[in-house]
Amino acid sequence: MLLRDDLFRRLCQGRELLDQVHPEPLPIRDIARQVGISPFHFIRQFELLFGVTPHQHRIQSRIHRAKLLLARGGCSVTDVCMEIGFSSLGSFSDLFTRRVGIAPSVYQRRSRVFIHLPASHPQSLYPGCLSLMTRLPANAFRNFREASPSPLG
Amino acid sequence: MRIKLTSLMVDDQKKAKKFYTEVLGFQVKHEIPVGEYVWLTVISPEGPNDLELSLEPNANPAGKAFQEAMFSQGIPLTAFEVSDIAAEYARLKSLGVVFKSEPVAMGPVTIALFADTCGNLIQLYQPN
Repeated sequence: MLLRDDLFRRLCQGRELLDQVHPEPLPIRDIARQVGISPFHFIRQFELLFGVTPHQHRIQSRIHRAKLLLARGGCSVTDVCMEIGFSSLGSFSDLFTRRVGIAPSVYQRRSRVFIHLPASHPQSLYPGCLSLMTRLPANAFRNFREASPSPLG
Repeated sequence: MRIKLTSLMVDDQKKAKKFYTEVLGFQVKHEIPVGEYVWLTVISPEGPNDLELSLEPNANPAGKAFQEAMFSQGIPLTAFEVSDIAAEYARLKSLGVVFKSEPVAMGPVTIALFADTCGNLIQLYQPN
């Protein structure tokens, strides 16, 4: 398919709308309407361009955001669930576990080992590259935080 | 010093493996699980000793933001050379690939632009 420039731009706008967090996520047909494409064509052309349907894209986008928040630490699984626009902790945990393969709490525990390196732990617990990281200054991960979209705090 | 490897960020490595092999026709050279992700590289059967292309996950938020912005601005992240761009354009279109521009002569090359379904625009070019 050859995509006209204005249609390409509308589909990109649609993707941005899908990435936004709302307490009540907009129905896909409303997003299609906002970018001026019929829901049927929006879903079909979005999938051809991005390899996933708008619905799948929104799920992946939320899971991605949840992983970042969990890995950063400092907030509970419930906080993360609310932050990405889920009202039920159960459905968030189920979805996360299905997609990522481990529960959000397990993901958080595992990533903390990598992100917050407690100085009190014996260095022999870490693989070589991580023992090198413990010798980095405390602000070594600053760029990772700064790179995150601002709504993540 | 030699250049043997280059990389491209993809939003999903499973999807990327499918598209880059089944649609584009590349072959997997390395596929090594690394934690949550895979060290995944492909080569072209037309030039197996050319560059190896690594398909990397764009898990870093900075990478994701960069990839999405470049895509929305219509900027390709890499380019592949073909010997018959009209035939390749027709072949890929018949496989459902979305093109943002059809083959156009631009001085020494003819170029076309398509979406790789993994968040990137890729340029095809044929030296004239």
